[in-house]
Amino acid sequence: MSSKHHSDRMTFERLVRPHFDRLYRLAWRLAGQKSQAEDLFQELLIKAYGKLDELARIDEPGPWLARVMYNLFIDERRRFARQRLHTVEEGNLPGEGIAGLSGSQDPARDNERRERIEALDSALAQLSDEHRTVVLLHDTEGYKLSEIQELIGVPVGTVKSRLHRARAHLREILTKSGTIP
Amino acid sequence: MRTENSNIEDQALQALLKDYPAPEAPAGFYEQALARATHEGSRRQRNRWIMTGFGSAVAAGIALWFVGGFFFVTPEATISEPQIPGITMTLEEPRTVNLVFASATALDSAMLTVTLPDGLELAGFPGQREIKWQTSLNEGKNFLPLTLIAVSPMGGEVLARLEHNDRNRTFRLRIEIT
Repeated sequence: MSSKHHSDRMTFERLVRPHFDRLYRLAWRLAGQKSQAEDLFQELLIKAYGKLDELARIDEPGPWLARVMYNLFIDERRRFARQRLHTVEEGNLPGEGIAGLSGSQDPARDNERRERIEALDSALAQLSDEHRTVVLLHDTEGYKLSEIQELIGVPVGTVKSRLHRARAHLREILTKSGTIP
Repeated sequence: MRTENSNIEDQALQALLKDYPAPEAPAGFYEQALARATHEGSRRQRNRWIMTGFGSAVAAGIALWFVGGFFFVTPEATISEPQIPGITMTLEEPRTVNLVFASATALDSAMLTVTLPDGLELAGFPGQREIKWQTSLNEGKNFLPLTLIAVSPMGGEVLARLEHNDRNRTFRLRIEIT
């Protein structure tokens, strides 16, 4: 390995590693499937490494990386739509997320929680991509409205409107199924 | 006007969304992703230099005529193994292979699975050994260009499996690396 390559790699790792967990979760929220989420994360790193000079000049790499990931996700989705090719459903976030739930000392409570999350999975699957993304980023991941605005590139009013509609739709579905009162 | 019930629903929904799990990355995933990114990033940079230097260094596409005219017409039967077609690739140089699927009728929701040997990657899918698509086939010949990149000199066989309902057919392509 050349010293330049080694030095680039060290610089790259120093810039991106602090954001890995948050980016991994973002990939999950966007893609909804393990394999796609991990591919998205991988593609982001490849793209970012190719832009190392630009990345090194940025004060806050986190939002920049998140935006690049979101754009990769959108590009990929459009590319597949154009080609009439669709990645196979390998089990969506629900199943895999639930499989990763840690158990407590109370099996009955665990079961109840599992059922509630399955119901939420099902409800989220009925939302549009735009609505699902916004509600998961805001209400689950704790992104601020301004962060979402910057990430997906729409006015904050549109973010609010999508959030409002997404919640209303979820409430309607989950109330009907008896998951929430 | 918002009711007390609405507030309870809001709180319950918020609590549910807060509790929505996302798995952690598998052990070693970040290290692998970093290693691939720096390797792939360097390779792409080198390829850009090659493209700049030689102007039109576009990988030559070759067509492999996997004609399966009988494929979806008759149920799969024991077929004597034909000679496996092969190509020779240069390490880290993209090569496009056109797979041609002939179908007697238009088909929706056919499943295509491409399985790669170690050391061979499909462009745009770094590090993945198996890539699946659900796709539609037109009546007649359907082209699927696959851009392959050899990242190690091992070579091996690429398998392309096409499935529709209970019928399937696997195509094999032998890859040698120079």
